[in-house]
Amino acid sequence: MLAYALRRLLISVPILIASTFVVFILSSLAKNPLNALKAKNPPPSPRVLQLEAERLRLDHPLMERYWLWLTGLFRGDFGPSVQSTMNIGDEVVSRFAVTFRLIFLAMLIALILAVVVGVVSAVKQYSGLDYTFTFTGFLFLAMPSFWFAILLKEAGISFNNAVGETVLYTIGDSSVYVTGGLWAEVADTLGHMILPTISLALLSFAAWSRFQRASMLEVLNSDYVRLARAKGLRRGKVMRKHALRTALIPLTTVTALDLGAIISGAIVTEDVFQWRGAGSFLLDAIRGSDVYVIMAWLLVSATFIILFNLIADLLYGVLDPRIRYA
Amino acid sequence: MLTTKSRVVRAAALIAGAALAMSACSGDGGGDGEGGGQTGQIFADCDSNPNECNSAPDDQLQDGGEVTMAIEKNIANWNLNSSEGNVFETGMVMKAVLPSTYHSQPDLSFAMNEDVLQSAEMISEDPQTIEYKIHPDAQWSDGTPISADDFIYIWKTQNGRDCPDCAVSTTAGYEQVESVEGSDNGKTVTVTYSEPFTDWQQLWESGQPIYPAHIAAEHGDLDTPEGLKSAFDWFGTNVPTYSGGPFKIERFQNNQSITLVPNENYWGEKPNLDRVIFRIITDATQEPTALQNGEVQVIYPQPQVDLVQQVQNIPNVSSYIGLGLTWEHFDFNLDTEALKDKALRQALFTAVDRQGLIDKTVGQFTDKVEPLNNHNFMPGQDGYEDTVSETGQGSGDIEAAKKILTDAGYTLQGQQLMNPDGEPVPDMRIRYTTGNQIRQDSCELFAQAARELGVTVNVAPTDDLGGTLESGDYDVMVFAWVASPYPFANAVQNWTTGQGNNFGNYSNPEVDKLLKEAAAETNRQEAAQKVNQADKIMSEDAYVLPLYQKPTFIAAYDNLANVRNNSTLDGPVYNLKDWGLRAE
Repeated sequence: MLAYALRRLLISVPILIASTFVVFILSSLAKNPLNALKAKNPPPSPRVLQLEAERLRLDHPLMERYWLWLTGLFRGDFGPSVQSTMNIGDEVVSRFAVTFRLIFLAMLIALILAVVVGVVSAVKQYSGLDYTFTFTGFLFLAMPSFWFAILLKEAGISFNNAVGETVLYTIGDSSVYVTGGLWAEVADTLGHMILPTISLALLSFAAWSRFQRASMLEVLNSDYVRLARAKGLRRGKVMRKHALRTALIPLTTVTALDLGAIISGAIVTEDVFQWRGAGSFLLDAIRGSDVYVIMAWLLVSATFIILFNLIADLLYGVLDPRIRYA
Repeated sequence: MLTTKSRVVRAAALIAGAALAMSACSGDGGGDGEGGGQTGQIFADCDSNPNECNSAPDDQLQDGGEVTMAIEKNIANWNLNSSEGNVFETGMVMKAVLPSTYHSQPDLSFAMNEDVLQSAEMISEDPQTIEYKIHPDAQWSDGTPISADDFIYIWKTQNGRDCPDCAVSTTAGYEQVESVEGSDNGKTVTVTYSEPFTDWQQLWESGQPIYPAHIAAEHGDLDTPEGLKSAFDWFGTNVPTYSGGPFKIERFQNNQSITLVPNENYWGEKPNLDRVIFRIITDATQEPTALQNGEVQVIYPQPQVDLVQQVQNIPNVSSYIGLGLTWEHFDFNLDTEALKDKALRQALFTAVDRQGLIDKTVGQFTDKVEPLNNHNFMPGQDGYEDTVSETGQGSGDIEAAKKILTDAGYTLQGQQLMNPDGEPVPDMRIRYTTGNQIRQDSCELFAQAARELGVTVNVAPTDDLGGTLESGDYDVMVFAWVASPYPFANAVQNWTTGQGNNFGNYSNPEVDKLLKEAAAETNRQEAAQKVNQADKIMSEDAYVLPLYQKPTFIAAYDNLANVRNNSTLDGPVYNLKDWGLRAE
C-alpha cells in the first residue's frame, strides 16, 4: 500500500506542474498587475511604476517569470505579491488554516448526517421519514449557498434577540477582545463557528445523503445481503458489516471529489461570514491580478485535493478487502 | 410509533423552514417586539449644520467606552504617503494617530489642525513662503517633540529629488518647495517655494500626514537617497507603535481588525472613548447584519437601495446620506475617430438626460442628488459655478441634440446617423465596472439616448477599470473621480495634455494654460476663477460630462455622540477623539 501511495504521489507531481503552468500563463496574461496602481488618483510617477514592474518581475519574459517562480518554490519563495508588504508563504498558511478549520468541521458534520440520514432513508424507503429527508435534501440542494447563509445570519440575530444577548456572531471567526477566561473564549469561538459551519455543512449534506441513500438501497437489494439474511444473520449485523461498509465506497469517492467544490463553496460562506480564509485570499488576488498569490492558492488547494483523492483510494482498501493494491 | 416519529420530524422540518423564511422576510431580523422603523434621528440636522450635528458636550457623555466601526479593506501598507498605502481605509485608521497640518471638514472645506499648529501663514508671496508655528507641547508618543525635522523628512521623501526611488503617492507641491527650514528649536517651520503653489495647505495635511523623522533616522540615513527609501519602506511595512495624535494603535490583527487606544502622551484634549476598533468587513452588504447584531456600531458603506432600506429598519440606529467629493461622469475617448468631432460629442452629451438617469439610479434611495455642473468643484465648495447647464449637455433634449448634428452636416438615414462625409457613424462601446449595477444602468440610458440620434452604443462591462482606461479600450466610459478641497493641482493632473489621469487624451492649449496658472497662484479666488474659465471651455469641448456627486452613507447607533458624516477623504473619523457614548 505504501508503494502504491508513493507511486500515486509521484504521478501527481507532473499533473500539478502542468496545472501551475497553465494557470500561471492565463492569470499573467489576463490583466496587468500595474493597472490598479496606474488608475490611482493622483497617478504615480513613471519611476514608481518602473520600480513596481521590476519588483513584480514584469521586466522578465513570461516563461522566465514562471521558471523563477517554480525554482523559487524550492527555496520557500512564493514570489512577490502586488501587496508589497505581504509574505505569500506566511499568508497562505494562515488563510488555509482558517478555511480548513471551517471545511473539516463542516465536512465531518455533513458526513455523519449524510450517512445517518442516507441509511435511515434507505432502510425506511417510502416512509414519511424518507419523504421528509428527501424533501429536506432537495430543499438544501436547491438553495443558493449565499442565500442560505444570509438566512442563517438573520435566524442567528433573531435567536440573539430572543435570548437577550449575543450568542451567535455573523462576522469573523472570533471577537477582537474576549474577556472571562478560557470558557468565554471557547464560547466565543463556537459562537462564530456555528452559523458558517451549518451553512457549509448542510449544503454538502444534502447531496451526500442522496448518494448514501441510493448506494444503500442498491446494496440492500443485492444478492449477498439477501443471502446473509437468509443464512440467519441478525439484521443489525448485516446492515453494519455487510451493507453499510460496501455502501460507503461511493460516498468516499464523492466526498474526495467534492473537496474542490467545498473549497469553492467555502469562498461564498467565508465572504458572507467574513472569515478571512483562502476564499477571500483568492478573490482579492484575482481582482488585483496578484498572480503569485493565485499560484500559491492553486498549489495548496491542488495538493490537498490530490491528497484527499489518494486517501479516498486508500480507504477503498480498508472498506473492501477485495481491493488489493500491492 | 414510526408514524408519530415521522410526523415529529416533518413538523420540526416545517417549523425550521418557516423560521428561516420568516427571518428572511422580516426587515428587523425579529427585533425585540417593539416594532421596526427608525427610532434614531441623531443626524437630523446634518443637512443644515454639517460640521456640528449630533454634538454632545462632554458632561453628557460616558467616561470611556468602546466603539467598533466597519472598514472595507485590510491595511496593506502603513505609509499613507506611499502610492500603495494611499488608501481610504488606511487613512481612516491613521487619522487620529498621525499629526497633520490641515484636515477636511464635513462641509467640504478644510481647517487647520489646531492641536498641531498654532498658526500657518503665507509671509511672502514672492517667493511664496509659508510659516508654520508648531504647538510648543506637540510631541510624539515617546516624548520627542514634533518639529521641523519631521516636516523636512516628509518633504525629502516626497519631492522626487532627494529620494527618487521612494514610491510616493504624489510629488505635487513638494517638488515646488525649494527649502524647508526650522527655527525656534524646530517649532517654527519656514517653507519656501520655487514657484507658487495654490494648494499649499495640501502639504502635510491629513491625507499626506507627518511621520516621525527621529524614528525614520533609526532605519536609514536621511541624508542619502538609499537611507530615505529604507526608512520610507520601513514605515510601510511596520505597524506603527508611535503616535503623534490622540490615539495610538494597540493591536493589529491582520485581515481582522485594528484597535486604537488613547495616546497617554497626547498634549491636546484627551479622547472620550477608551477603545476604538476598526473591524474589517470587505463585503459592504454584510455590514447591516453586523450592525443589527451589535458587532459594529458605525458603518460607512457605499449606499445601495437594499442596504439603505435594511439599515433604516434597524431599531435604535440612525443613518444619513451625504453628498461628497466623489463624482460620476461619462468620458469620451478622443482617440476614437468618430469622437474627434466636437459636434457629435456635444450632441451625444446633450441627448443624455442626467435628471432622468439620477431618478432611475441613485435617486431611488435619496432625493438629494442633483446633476453636477462643474468638473472641478463640488456644490458647497468655494468656487463652484455651473459651467455645464448653459451648454444644454445633460438635459436630455433630443431635438437640440439633433439640431447640433444637422447644423454640423450629419444626416439620418433610417435609424443610422451618417457623418458629414456621408459615412455611417460606427458603433461604439460604453464600458462600466463589472458588477456595478448603477453604472450599468447609466450606460444603458446613455445607449438609449444615443439610439435616438441614430448612433449604436453597445454596453460592455470591464473587470479591470484601470487597465481599460490605461489601454484606451473604450469609446465611452463611466467612472468616478474624487475631487478635493485642494482642487488646483488635481485639475492639472486630470485635464491637461499628456497627464497620467487624462485617459481620454483631451488636449486644449487654453485649458492647459489656465489650469497651470491656477495651480501656481497665491490667491485662491483668482485661481478658482481661472479653473472655472477652463471648466467652461471643457464643457464646450464636451470631453467629460459630470453626472452627479456620489452619495455617501453613514449609520450609527443612537447612543453615539459627535459621530457625523464627512464625505471627504478624511471620512467620519476626522474628529475621532470627540466621539463618545451618551450617558444613559
